[in-house]
Amino acid sequence: MAGRGGRKPRNFATFRLFPRAGAADPNDRVFVRVDHNDYNVPGFADEDSFDSNFTADAADLHSSASGPLPEHVRREILELGFPDDGYNYLFHLRELRPAADAASSFVPSSTARPEPLPLDVKAYDASRVRVAPSADDLDEGKTMCKVAAKTAPLRRVQRAVDPDVARLLDESDFSHAGSEDEGLEEDFVIMANQAEGDDEVEEEDEELGNGIFSDVEEEEEFEDEPKPRVRRLLDEQFDLLALEEYGDSDDDDDRGGRDGDYELPREAIDELKLFRDQNGCVDEDYRTPADFVRGKLESTTADEVDESANVMRKCAEYAERYLNEPAEEKEIVLVSESSDESEVWDCETIVSTYSNLDNHPGKIETPGNCRKRFPRVFPGETATTNDLIKLHGKEKLPVDYLPQRKRNGEKEKKVKPAEALNAEKVKKEAHKETKEEKKARKAAVKEEKREARKAKKELKGLYKSETQKAQKVAAVTGPSSIRLM
Amino acid sequence: MAAADVAYAPPMKSGKAGYEGGVPEVQHRIRITLSSRNVKNLEKVCRDLVTGAKGKKLTLKGPVRMPTKVLNITTRKSPCGEGTNTWDRFEMRVHKRVIDLVSSPDVVKQITSITIEPGVEVEVTISD
Repeated sequence: MAGRGGRKPRNFATFRLFPRAGAADPNDRVFVRVDHNDYNVPGFADEDSFDSNFTADAADLHSSASGPLPEHVRREILELGFPDDGYNYLFHLRELRPAADAASSFVPSSTARPEPLPLDVKAYDASRVRVAPSADDLDEGKTMCKVAAKTAPLRRVQRAVDPDVARLLDESDFSHAGSEDEGLEEDFVIMANQAEGDDEVEEEDEELGNGIFSDVEEEEEFEDEPKPRVRRLLDEQFDLLALEEYGDSDDDDDRGGRDGDYELPREAIDELKLFRDQNGCVDEDYRTPADFVRGKLESTTADEVDESANVMRKCAEYAERYLNEPAEEKEIVLVSESSDESEVWDCETIVSTYSNLDNHPGKIETPGNCRKRFPRVFPGETATTNDLIKLHGKEKLPVDYLPQRKRNGEKEKKVKPAEALNAEKVKKEAHKETKEEKKARKAAVKEEKREARKAKKELKGLYKSETQKAQKVAAVTGPSSIRLM
Repeated sequence: MAAADVAYAPPMKSGKAGYEGGVPEVQHRIRITLSSRNVKNLEKVCRDLVTGAKGKKLTLKGPVRMPTKVLNITTRKSPCGEGTNTWDRFEMRVHKRVIDLVSSPDVVKQITSITIEPGVEVEVTISD
């Protein structure tokens, strides 16, 4: 054969069936050329030739890199919050199945029970307890019984929702959008602030005030005087103290003289509050006692004038006294915070402030294994006639009173004399008999122990059911440290 | 020579009367290679292709069964070195069938489009 420079002429084309890129149906396949020969078969290949290392990513890119995404797709992508960068994020998202909607949306159940109480809390329903109207004859025992009879323990507690509270909570988002001063919506503040502005409102209030309280005009001291109640020594002292403390920041005195433009001083506000409580009406003008005395304001009775004069005099007195006070020592007034009759401490209340829910004295218990150590009936008590406690053995122990030695003690007593006799006998006889005797003795002891064990087992088996029952009962009622079997 | 008196008719293509020329389409030699891990599907596809080709009266060289390639992986069962040295033997069997035809490419395309079975890889090599 003639030597050829290269390979054999490759006059063939190879096509492979591939599933169409991006198609759901795996059976949708097309022929794709997988080799790179020059041979051409027209009309066979369905798609452009690919590298034999065909990957799904390449197919994806090829199919989706067809210009910008369609408009509706872009809109959807934007709606979901993804950036609009030409990439089709919807490819990674999945439509929810219809059943999933039901699972993903939460519908609060109408038959839901409120959540159960935590384990360390006990709740009682005391709605049926009637509190005795008169608290004089308070018999604690009886009231306890009454309360206990009417209360019932609860498993679940519904959070009490006051309708007012609920309303406020709902409204809190919307109605407090204004300024911070909205909290100070007391009437007197409003009135005071309105004194600067609205004239109409003032007139209205005045008319109202006069109309409603026209029949109360006799009681002048409540209506006209800014000091509705008799001022005590304490009031004067307080006012002076207040002035002293806050006198620097107090501008009311300056403003008091201005006509038509004043704010009520702080001390007067308290008075006015009281005044309002009693009458519900406030006159706009601030009246000083001096007004009455000097006749600047008209007053219908002489009492007013007298009282005002009195007050003025008193004020002057106190002021003088206050000025002269540094020379004297101030009185130290001890105020006991608790009155004697209300506090009656008893041992129970003072020992612990824990409730029984947290504090379980009964639980603090050492396991009582020591009870079995001592026999119920001391053999020594029955045996001894006199008050002597006999000590035996090398260690000089009160043998009769030792635990678990009762039986052996008795046996030993019995054995010992017998043994002693035997021993005496034997000692008289040959030595080798002692060995036998020892053996016999030991055998006897062994036998006795075997019998005892058998008897114990029998007894135990007989009464096993009883212990089971007792354990059950103890588990329910008694503390958990009791173990019977 | 008298025997040669019989009209010597040039050898004519027997069969179809009125058939004038040769087949208008170019005939290529086509080799279809089917490979799969699943013998049952593979055999089914083979059968369908053969019946399809036979129906179109194509020259067909029946499905030639290539020897099955068995790919083995033998690994230790244990993730650590402890324990008796037990080994897992995994294998993958690839079956291959080859069908040779002589026909035009579009006929082949027709045939192969009909028989669709998942897991069977189809490769078509067209030569002159």
